[in-house]
Amino acid sequence: MELKEWLAKAAQSILDQDEASAREIATKALEDGMDPVEMIHHGFAAGIRKMGDLFDRGEVFLPGLIIASDAMVAAVEILEAALPRGQQQKNLGVIVIGTVEGDIHDIGKGIMVTMLRVHGYEVHDLGRDVPIEDFVKKAREVNADVIGSSAMMTTTQIGQKKLEEALKKAGLRDRVKTMVGGAVATDHWAKRIGADFFGETPADTIDKLQRILN
Amino acid sequence: MKAKERVMHLLNHQTPDRMPCFAANAAVTYDQMEAVQAFWPEGHEKAGTMARLALAAHTVLGLDAIRVPFCQTFEAEALGCKLKPGGSEGIPGIDFPPPYSIDDVPVFPQDFLSRGRIPELLKAVRLLKKELNDDVPIVGGIVGPLTIAGALLETVPLLRASIKTPEKIRPFLEVAEKAGTALAQALVDAGVDIIACEDMTASPMLASPDTYRHFEREYQTRQFEAIEVPKILHICGNVDLIVEYMGRTGADILSLEPKASVPLAREKCGSDIILMGGVDTVSTLYLMDPATVRLECEKAIADGVQILAPGCAMAPGTPLENILAMVDVARQH
Repeated sequence: MELKEWLAKAAQSILDQDEASAREIATKALEDGMDPVEMIHHGFAAGIRKMGDLFDRGEVFLPGLIIASDAMVAAVEILEAALPRGQQQKNLGVIVIGTVEGDIHDIGKGIMVTMLRVHGYEVHDLGRDVPIEDFVKKAREVNADVIGSSAMMTTTQIGQKKLEEALKKAGLRDRVKTMVGGAVATDHWAKRIGADFFGETPADTIDKLQRILN
Repeated sequence: MKAKERVMHLLNHQTPDRMPCFAANAAVTYDQMEAVQAFWPEGHEKAGTMARLALAAHTVLGLDAIRVPFCQTFEAEALGCKLKPGGSEGIPGIDFPPPYSIDDVPVFPQDFLSRGRIPELLKAVRLLKKELNDDVPIVGGIVGPLTIAGALLETVPLLRASIKTPEKIRPFLEVAEKAGTALAQALVDAGVDIIACEDMTASPMLASPDTYRHFEREYQTRQFEAIEVPKILHICGNVDLIVEYMGRTGADILSLEPKASVPLAREKCGSDIILMGGVDTVSTLYLMDPATVRLECEKAIADGVQILAPGCAMAPGTPLENILAMVDVARQH
């Protein structure tokens, strides 16, 4: 089968939210001698990007996006295992991300992580209920370009402000950009605490990231 | 008119002296805590503190109804979920790991009403009933079946199953509905006048509208049939895609966030349903000033809300002056 056909099949398996099919396509495309990087970027990633657009337009709902994202992750895992050692994917920037301390909500953040990876960012996901110092430590360790924090409650949102202060104190604030997200974040909030921007949806976040990093 | 008369007039489709203003969700601020010297976490745990804090929504904020509890964890905790304490500033949440996975059979415990903090919640209602002398209505909060199911399974696995193996979520919705209904009936026996059902996970922002239409609605309807007092149904966010079905559950009042369309709710649900809502709790009530609050409230009233309310649970850090501005707008209508 031609590469073009493999790419179309890969994208379609994501749109179909079909993890078994996504795995099968990844495996068979490799057997057929396809380039794993091509398969990820122009096949599976094209599918998840389209899903993201459909989600933003209200034509696909969160459960569908979660399942498509599972399929994407499974396929990418198979393809990445076949990458020659040392051959890295394109890297648009290093991002450290997590849900702030006290907050255990991470559905939106989880989707965001997949989308960022798909778009070529190196993402270090700290998970949920993350102490401020862990953001700072990780950012220093991986030499992060961007730190993203999520909060779903006004009572935990204060963690996003504390993160700004902690980064200043650690002397890192001038070297990283900060983005805030979550149900209670707004542009107004980002400005008020001195974060670089508020990402509302995956598409909005990626758009703003590209502008701020260039 | 006394507050209770005002609210009950509206529920009986009569015209009250002015528009009622109260919250379907938690209405507790740090200012209230200071004013009545009742604080968290005791307010989530002890009947006396809970009652004092709830009462402050009327005495300090001027709301036409008071509400207990202030979080959404009572049923889930009693069903075996692990509680994550909220400390003195926040509300308790459900911690990981969840008690069940999708292939398990969930159990409704026979001693449900004596588990966790439910006895303290019921005691708080009895204390309030005595104190209020029936002048101010008491709203008792329960949590919707899909949201409780989300606590039993964790939300992401629930959402996955809702698409991949939807029939498997039914046993969880069954147990969750039983829990909410049992709590509602006990709250009514203890003296609440209105039940408010919060069902965050049923929002189209989380679950698919088809899940609401084909699954959740059935359980919600069954639950509301079993509750004798008036019912408020609150689902967060923009509910335009499901509001028609929300209106068919037997709820007397729909509580809407400003992200949802009030005229659409009216069009889809007819003239009998009472609509409450008004001001966004985060972007406006918490972060803006009284003038902005007033504008947003006036718009909601022009759109057709009959009970002015914060759109969702109030942020505890909400400035008092903003809440008073909201209450004042209701007083002029």
